[in-house]
Amino acid sequence: MEAMQRYVSPVNPAVFPHLASVLLIIGTFFTAWFFVFVVSRKNTKESTLIKELLISLCAAIFLGFGIVFLLLTVGIYV
Amino acid sequence: MKKMELSRIIYCVALTYLCFSAANAEIINKNVERVLDLSSQLVKTTYKITAEETTGKPIKEYVFIVTEPNLSYISAKDGLNKKVEVQKIQEGGASNVFSYKLTFSSPSSKQSIVIETVSTKNILPHPSEIKQNDKQLVKFVGKLYLYSKYSTSTQKTNVILSSSNILSHTQVKPFSVSSNKVFFGPYENIGAQSEDELVLHYENQTPFLTVNTLERTIEVSHWGNIAVKEDIQLTHSGAKLKGSFSRYDFQKDGRSGQSAVKSYKTYLPASANGVYYRDTNGNISTSNMNLMRDFVDLDLRPRFPLFGGWKTQYTLGYNVPSYEYLYSSGNKYMLKMHLIDHIHDNMLIDEAVVNIILPEGSTNIELITPYSVKRHQNDLMYTYLDTVGRPVISFSKQNLVENHISDFTLKYSFSKVSLLQEPLLVIGFIYIIFLFTIVFLRLDLSITSHSHKD
Repeated sequence: MEAMQRYVSPVNPAVFPHLASVLLIIGTFFTAWFFVFVVSRKNTKESTLIKELLISLCAAIFLGFGIVFLLLTVGIYV
Repeated sequence: MKKMELSRIIYCVALTYLCFSAANAEIINKNVERVLDLSSQLVKTTYKITAEETTGKPIKEYVFIVTEPNLSYISAKDGLNKKVEVQKIQEGGASNVFSYKLTFSSPSSKQSIVIETVSTKNILPHPSEIKQNDKQLVKFVGKLYLYSKYSTSTQKTNVILSSSNILSHTQVKPFSVSSNKVFFGPYENIGAQSEDELVLHYENQTPFLTVNTLERTIEVSHWGNIAVKEDIQLTHSGAKLKGSFSRYDFQKDGRSGQSAVKSYKTYLPASANGVYYRDTNGNISTSNMNLMRDFVDLDLRPRFPLFGGWKTQYTLGYNVPSYEYLYSSGNKYMLKMHLIDHIHDNMLIDEAVVNIILPEGSTNIELITPYSVKRHQNDLMYTYLDTVGRPVISFSKQNLVENHISDFTLKYSFSKVSLLQEPLLVIGFIYIIFLFTIVFLRLDLSITSHSHKD
């Protein structure tokens, strides 16, 4: 008991809303870039697979964290 | 041979006599002062007992007998205000008589003990049915003298009632009445286990509210929040309403429905935020919240005034930050919270069920409660972004009063990395959608072979 410290969240709950909006904006930007990139891709043989995977991974990471913080903001404490 | 046997018998007899005399050591209650607080729906009794050993031997143990049914709480202190260990003696005999063994830490030939007891459902409405405009009258039947294993030299009983309107009371001299107090005694030289009745019939308009079931759910999130939710079923357990209910009389006449419960106060922890008060219909808007210095004062008004026998049920919930109740060191965590919390003044809970939901991946769970509770089997719960389920620790306890508000301790282990599980789950899900898009755009779903010549 004496050795234990009060547990504080790794992320300050006060910044949840800001974090959620910033992360979601960045995530949406990457998503948009991914779709624009994929749709406007020329039907040539040049390899764009790596670039597509990287853009979509960035988008997924930002959207994923954004959604979790959005849930925390609205009161769903996952 | 015969001589030896004889000596053995003598030895045995002497030994039993010794044991007997030791067990029957001459303890007497030199002075007993009882304060019976009958001003609410609970019987709160304070006993101040000065016990003495006539032979001058130090008293180590004292047997205290409780005859009140539905005893909810008992605690004892000695003359130096130190807590005395109270242990229930198991008895198979009479159902309404329970003996408690008090063990003193510092034995002496003269002990002064202060015992506090709270019992429920012993003040009964009499008559049991009243009309809307009638006053609620109640009757209490108890013991005039201290029911003790030992004889008592002098004893006094002070009774505190809720009003000065006393219809009748036991008339054993000497006694005196002043306003809402009745004084009995001093009575001299009362033998052990004397059973004389103490009956009081008086007006009691304080709310007679019984919480039939309280289901308290504590959900711990390591993102910095503890969510508390209480599902409460309330019954007005006073005199039942006879005849119809007139809203007109109730609104117009101040004397109407005095025993009805219009509103009551609930105290929440000072850090409570996001408080909600609702039932199956939705939010109950007739509530007020006042932020005090060290608690949150919640004024709850049910959808209708509660008359005798009427019931209501609602859900009360709030969030508290985790740093108030959760402690950590490395991977070890400790949750220290109130087992039950205040619902209304002089509350009485028939049955409380407490569920504690820990984050997914918690192991080595160890529960320490301030009093004995009935443990239920650990369960798993699935909510948002769960895979293997969150462990739920559940236990229940019957017949609780305000004195039972104290902290439980729950220890568990949880690795910090598991906190990333939920974001990774979402990330994985979104990434799979992207991968599908990539694969889908590369598939050639046309039936004919390529003929983009136009």
